[in-house]
Amino acid sequence: MPLYEGIGLGTEKQPVVIDIGTAYTKFGFAGETGPRCIISTEVMCQESGRIKKIFSYSNEEELYSLLVEFIHNLYFRHLLVSPKDRRVVIVESLLCPSVFRDTLAKVLFRHFEVSSVLFVPSHLVALCTLGVSTALVLDVGYQEAVLIPVYEGVPVLHAWQAQPLASQAVESNLRRRLAGPEEGELSPHSRISESTIEDIKVRTCFVTSFERAHKITAGQPDPPPPSVSYQADGSSTVDVPGSARETAYEILFEQDGDEMSVSTMVLDAILKCPVDMRKELAENILLMGGTTMATGFKARLMSELKYLVTTPKYAKHLAIKVFKVHKPPAKENYVAWLGGSIFGGTDVIVTRSLSKEAYLKENRIPDWANLMYNCREDDNKSANL
Amino acid sequence: MSHILQSDVVRYACTCGSLKPLSRIYFCRHCLKIRCGYCVSHEVDSHYCANCLENLPSAEARLKKQRCASCFDCPSCLHTLSTKASTVVVPSSDEKTVTRKLYYLACGFCRWTSRDIGYPDQTVASGGWPEKENPHASRIYNLLEHFKTLALREKQEREKKKKFIPRRNIYHLSGLSAAMARKRAGLPSIGPSSLKDDVGGPAELIPSAATEEVEQLPEEIFTDTLNLLKVTTLKQRLAQPEFQPQTVDELYPAHKCLLIKRSQRCRSCEHNVSKPEYNPGSIKFKIQLSAHYHVPEIRIVTCEPLRAGEKSEMIIKICNPTQYQSSLQFSPLPSPEEEAEELSKEIEERKQKVDRKDEKTNREDVLLLLPSICRQVSITEDPRPVNVALTGDISLPPVTLVLPPRDDAAEYDDSGDTHNFQDDPKIVVWRKANKAAMKLVITPEEDISEGRDVIVGFVMHYTYINTMATQLLEQREPQKVNLKVKLYITVGKVVGK
Ligand SMILES: [Zn+2]
Ligand SMILES: [Zn+2]
Ligand SMILES: [Zn+2]
Ligand SMILES: [Zn+2]
Repeated sequence: MPLYEGIGLGTEKQPVVIDIGTAYTKFGFAGETGPRCIISTEVMCQESGRIKKIFSYSNEEELYSLLVEFIHNLYFRHLLVSPKDRRVVIVESLLCPSVFRDTLAKVLFRHFEVSSVLFVPSHLVALCTLGVSTALVLDVGYQEAVLIPVYEGVPVLHAWQAQPLASQAVESNLRRRLAGPEEGELSPHSRISESTIEDIKVRTCFVTSFERAHKITAGQPDPPPPSVSYQADGSSTVDVPGSARETAYEILFEQDGDEMSVSTMVLDAILKCPVDMRKELAENILLMGGTTMATGFKARLMSELKYLVTTPKYAKHLAIKVFKVHKPPAKENYVAWLGGSIFGGTDVIVTRSLSKEAYLKENRIPDWANLMYNCREDDNKSANL
Repeated sequence: MSHILQSDVVRYACTCGSLKPLSRIYFCRHCLKIRCGYCVSHEVDSHYCANCLENLPSAEARLKKQRCASCFDCPSCLHTLSTKASTVVVPSSDEKTVTRKLYYLACGFCRWTSRDIGYPDQTVASGGWPEKENPHASRIYNLLEHFKTLALREKQEREKKKKFIPRRNIYHLSGLSAAMARKRAGLPSIGPSSLKDDVGGPAELIPSAATEEVEQLPEEIFTDTLNLLKVTTLKQRLAQPEFQPQTVDELYPAHKCLLIKRSQRCRSCEHNVSKPEYNPGSIKFKIQLSAHYHVPEIRIVTCEPLRAGEKSEMIIKICNPTQYQSSLQFSPLPSPEEEAEELSKEIEERKQKVDRKDEKTNREDVLLLLPSICRQVSITEDPRPVNVALTGDISLPPVTLVLPPRDDAAEYDDSGDTHNFQDDPKIVVWRKANKAAMKLVITPEEDISEGRDVIVGFVMHYTYINTMATQLLEQREPQKVNLKVKLYITVGKVVGK
């Protein structure tokens, strides 16, 4: 006896919301309060038995098969529902390469036969978790920190900032610090697996305070926090010195060379926005992405911002004194997903989705990095200021 | 069973272009084509719990968030928890002591127990455990209500003035749109009465207020030693996405995730190629059109050492698994041009099928009334060319090999074969019941380096008796069809001179 979901008219199958990040993928059902799972964005290669990251694709064909395998697992191992004739919401970065979204759409429509796909930009839908229409959204994920100011519901695209200041940078910094300066590549620590480094980072490291960081750069550090001996894989032990615990995240805040840090990204973005938007943006900061969950991250960013506005570089141009951050009703690493879940839980999924029929007719997805057709005329003007 | 150890020695090309061993492919008896896990449509049939084997219909599983109501996973090591009983002595009022059973959850692998996090023991063996709720749930439902109202209103506005481009569009939905703008401007908010629609204003929602206060770094982090045993691992955190506990005392047991039984459907004719029995305890299938029962099987018996550019003899064993006699022929693989032509023919065939299906469902009135009932047009992927580089040549004897039907009784009959086939003993070296062994000559490429795999390929043509058509069309005689399948054999590695 086949037991179908949603027998009868009007009962729609619950749409699925997927946020594919470089490191982790968040997915679950629209209208729910949290994702069902957060798993690594990778698949086990059937032939070699090795783990392959989805974003390590070299061409479209490879990406296609990686995505087929990955999404098959999402539906049948974790979500436990059939993809066929079910709606999908894809939370994606505005900077997502078009080959990725085109291939993803092709996989979803052609292989999994989903009934519709709704692409929503992560920085915009994240605001759904707050109920406000203006915010400076900073997403610090695995590969990049991406900042996009959103004003009255419209992204101020020319002010966006992206820097490779994220989890990956922190982890390679931590790896260097564990190896010690003199040992270099040959030290046993250079062979620690990526997942172990990540676990060491999450469990032992923190973002130190502004005052202590300044003393460290000045060469007069306070005594470091106690070191930790980390049991890796049951057999080997990794000694994590206190200094490594304290300074692993410093790579995000150091302003050497190009003078770019997570904090200057915020100020630079505000500077690029029209004057009448600045105060409102500074008082509506939304931090999301797994890296912002690090202990002490928010406190540090706030004190950095307060300090930087007094430095000559910014004091001349910025009259802002107050910075405020939002507390979304979610853990930072799934804020964008929750936005997609709330957004996709409304009728928008019926009115705005790209249907299978439309996709087949056009055989491509409308390019949506070009937001012009979505903006009101006066918004376009202000965005082009 | 040679398949367990050498599953990818002999690979069959599926209609979709995948290469799989015989044990991993299906044969659709309706299309008479080979299908595989990649090109069939997978469907969730039913949910069940792997621990207590309770099965749930999909609708009920959805209500329980695809988790078992009675089984729990250990939050520490993610194995299944078991319920342990302990006996306690309870003093009763009339100076007698009564023993009572109390239950707690314990992990047999890592020794975690529900007492570790201070859960009180339960007086009943199952259920009663505190359920942890997302602390933000009511706020999120408020937001959801709010945006639902906004979206509905936008939809109505659009329908009303279809000719105009809506002033407020979806990206304003992510903000507060009109209501908020009015509030800012100091205008009275518009009540449901002044709106000429029947949705009413958006549900009352207090927008999130940003603060200057953020969580400060605890001072003691610089002085206190970190006890890693008290800090949860990333894996433990991500296993409970909504809570992501940082310390082990916040690890709460989670309901065990269900598993599914899955049926597989041929995308082109929509018949099942595999359908399991509903009972989770059963490992049997209602429908299982494994190619193993329909397509002749080929195994390597022996092969002489392979040397670059030199001939070696290979003996393969061919087995007819069907109830009918089958005659086999072998031919070389098609050239790339021929293959491209075949592919386009296949694609064309599919298109026609879709068009026919289109005609059937294209009655507008039905579509409008019952959109969920009409099957949507199937737009499966186009088949791909087989992607494998051959590194050897195979010479195929121009014979027709006739294999008798499978006869289970003959397996135990050692008295010799009564069949009388006119085989060339130089080619067909052995015969028994429905099996025969055949000698083939392999020549690895001239410039192949030592240690590389020698891969050869050929097409096997075989006759198949279509019994499905007999049933459907009430024909007396079963229909005989000629089928073919491309085979790729990884013979072995090249040895030195
Ligand atoms: Zn296939
Ligand atoms: Zn159970
Ligand atoms: Zn355990
Ligand atoms: Zn079929």
